[in-house]
Amino acid sequence: MSLTEVKVPNIGDFSGVPVIEVLVKAGDTVSVDDPLVTLESDKASMEIPAPSAGKVAEVLVNVGDTVSEGHLILRLEAAGHEEETVAADAPVPREAARSEAESHAPAEASQSPVPSDTRALPAPADFDGLNASPSVRRLARELDIDLATLKGTGDKGRVTKADVKAALGGGSATGSAVAIANVPQPDFSKFGLVTAAPLSRLKRLSGPHLHRAWISIPHVTHTDEADITELETYRKTLDAEAKDKGYRVTMLSFLLMASVAALKQFPEFNASLSPDGQSLILKHYYNIGVAVDTPDGLVVPVIKDADRKRILELSQELSAVSKRMRDGKIAPADIQGASFSISSLGGIGGTGFTPIVNAPEVAILGVVRAVTRPVWNGETFTPRLMLPLCVSYDHRVIDGALAARFTRRLAEILGDVRQLVL
Amino acid sequence: MTKVPDIETDLLVLGAGPGGYTAAFRAADLGRKVVLVERAPVLGGVCLNVGCIPSKALLHAAKVIEDAREMATAGLSFSAPAINLDGLRIWKDGIVGRLTSGLAALAKQRKVTVVTGHGRFVSPHEIDVQSNGAVQRIAFSTAIVAAGSEPVHLPFIPHNEPGVIDSTGALDLEDIPARLLVIGGGIIGLEMATVYHALGSKVSVVELTDQLIPGADRDLVAPLMKRAAGHYEAIHLGTKVTKAERAATGLAVDFEGPDAPERQTFDKVLVAVGRVPNGKLLNLEAAGVAVDARGFVPVDRRMRTNVPHIFAVGDIVGQPMLAHKAVHEAKVAAEVAAGLGSAFDARVIPSVAYTDPEVAWVGLTETEAKAKGVSYGTGVFPWAASGRALSLGRDEGLTKVLFDPATHRVLGCGIVGPNAGDLIAEAALAIEMGADAADISGTIHPHPTLSETIAQSAEMFEGTITDLMPKPVRRT
Repeated sequence: MSLTEVKVPNIGDFSGVPVIEVLVKAGDTVSVDDPLVTLESDKASMEIPAPSAGKVAEVLVNVGDTVSEGHLILRLEAAGHEEETVAADAPVPREAARSEAESHAPAEASQSPVPSDTRALPAPADFDGLNASPSVRRLARELDIDLATLKGTGDKGRVTKADVKAALGGGSATGSAVAIANVPQPDFSKFGLVTAAPLSRLKRLSGPHLHRAWISIPHVTHTDEADITELETYRKTLDAEAKDKGYRVTMLSFLLMASVAALKQFPEFNASLSPDGQSLILKHYYNIGVAVDTPDGLVVPVIKDADRKRILELSQELSAVSKRMRDGKIAPADIQGASFSISSLGGIGGTGFTPIVNAPEVAILGVVRAVTRPVWNGETFTPRLMLPLCVSYDHRVIDGALAARFTRRLAEILGDVRQLVL
Repeated sequence: MTKVPDIETDLLVLGAGPGGYTAAFRAADLGRKVVLVERAPVLGGVCLNVGCIPSKALLHAAKVIEDAREMATAGLSFSAPAINLDGLRIWKDGIVGRLTSGLAALAKQRKVTVVTGHGRFVSPHEIDVQSNGAVQRIAFSTAIVAAGSEPVHLPFIPHNEPGVIDSTGALDLEDIPARLLVIGGGIIGLEMATVYHALGSKVSVVELTDQLIPGADRDLVAPLMKRAAGHYEAIHLGTKVTKAERAATGLAVDFEGPDAPERQTFDKVLVAVGRVPNGKLLNLEAAGVAVDARGFVPVDRRMRTNVPHIFAVGDIVGQPMLAHKAVHEAKVAAEVAAGLGSAFDARVIPSVAYTDPEVAWVGLTETEAKAKGVSYGTGVFPWAASGRALSLGRDEGLTKVLFDPATHRVLGCGIVGPNAGDLIAEAALAIEMGADAADISGTIHPHPTLSETIAQSAEMFEGTITDLMPKPVRRT
């Protein structure tokens, strides 16, 4: 029987990523793209999908193992041709027939005796001698964090739950120059009935990342508005045509395109501050992160090379990626490599907000609901559809004047999409 | 090999002692389909049926007898107790029965399938359970081995001879022997010595090492030794039994050692020299699970054996063979088997001898600190200065806490005296939480209680004690 080796695909710049879930066991039948194992990177958990349909012959990782690109996860027997394979594979028909006969038993039952060379198990880190209470040690085990690598910020160097949570996103509590005390909590039950609802995994993962970004970046939010009256008419025409083809053309596609055009003119916005704070790393690619609301929380999939895609392509890709996110099928490549991000609440409402810069990016565009209101055109008030734009930026990199120019340019492009073809 | 399994399950738990039933229940609560295999017809294992629980019942009976006797000094005289052994046994068995039937109900509520019989592995995913000649095959995805231990048998002791008993036999209360020899001055031997002494036996204890309860600090054992020496017929330390045989008037026993007595005859001989793990009785090699020469199954912090889907917990994985260690390990194993990221991270495991007086210790002992060259300071509070201890008529107790001399963190604690076993939990919590001397002395302990002695020990270490004269801090 031919066995396919399933390895950890390119998961970006991560190595030593912990396996937090093993979703299949030997003997399971899987379809193509069924999730096999879940890994946990610094921003999100990601599932490794089955590359092809088949039956799981052997699972080679355990929860708690750390893996990197190329690490062997499991072996997969090709599906659908079992009988043919048995017939064709003369040397082992008995073995195959027997495992067929025993197919109701867990698959490995027929594999006895086990090889004497039992694979070494990764030993969990040793927490001896650390000043961490049992509850903190337990949290660290659940999140697979080695407490020995953390510096405790608590009383007498005690590692606290907050330290463990802060470390979850990658950096350690040591990196923070300023220790921030937790907000003291009263005993709420004194005031009335309370219940605790555990945060989703996504929230537990994104929380520390957002917190770090908020703490480490001096944020300023600049607001402006774009007249999208004509753009909206154009969008509706395109959308009506697209509906029949099974996708939608949303304002987001235009925001992506307009952002790319503005970023090309203002390269400081498509950049990152170097870790030493001495230089700006300018990016000559335009990968735009788009915040997507899912039942479990916020995910930011990345539309790669947005500068090389046109409205219809962007719309199709956005529809597809949003659906994948909402279905919880988040591939590692989907959420990595953004150079600028967009958060749109336009479908819900609002008049303005402060999006948090998705560090290490330096700026993010937030949009809320467009409203039709009277605009003075120099002679008279005319009804125009106005879209509020909220650009949060890293003030270490971008000055207020530059931010105003960037946002104005965005508004101009959105106000006259003919500029996009220039 | 091609036998069709009678039962298929997510998780098989072998052994229904504290480790086994805890693992089974936790796993069931995590949504696993669990089969619990137990050789005995009732759940609870050694601890509930022939260990911790029945021995505590009998120790309570012994305490009532001793307390009544001792109140003579307080002007309260009782006539000698009339001991109805059948009544005592029925009372003890009733307590055990309540607990084991409670477990059976909990298993049922959790839909844990209980299978009675001896389990032997036949492959990495199958086990055969034998009961009255019938064999059931159970196929499992994961397994937790919690098959426990049994009393050590000595080659020079005729264990089949009537009158030669182990802890299980001692708890059966067949009779009250006129002369009882307890071989082994450890926790189990001394607890049984306490019971039989109170019931009226003349008790002799023989211990190979030079102190009772090897493992506890000598100063903590001293009050127990003093009391036992006054009550028991004899205590032979540094002495070995070389032979025991049936003689006309009982069991004749030969001793060897610098202070060894001549051959003596006893009505019963209790062998309590330790327990051996049951790792060799389960055909674990068929599952590929490594078992060491003594019968222990090595595991990692996640309680995994060398075979990733097979876990082991409790006595079978190593010392100390204590129910509370097994329970803690069992939860870890059940959680890891269910895919959670748990690990056994407890720093310390308390030990208690429920003797009279009780001896309890946790964490670093002085003996250990000296052997390893660990620097430490002590705070010692003698119970002679505790009003509560005096009002109990027991002033021999002692509370001793070991601290890190640099950080004042609690490293260990030892207590001797009534209820030492209950008191030691505070010290265990202090160690797990990384508390230091001021954390303990700054916690208001209720007065008058024995628990105050822990805070007072911390004050002794810090020199802030007012109930006694502060002493210069001992730094070793």
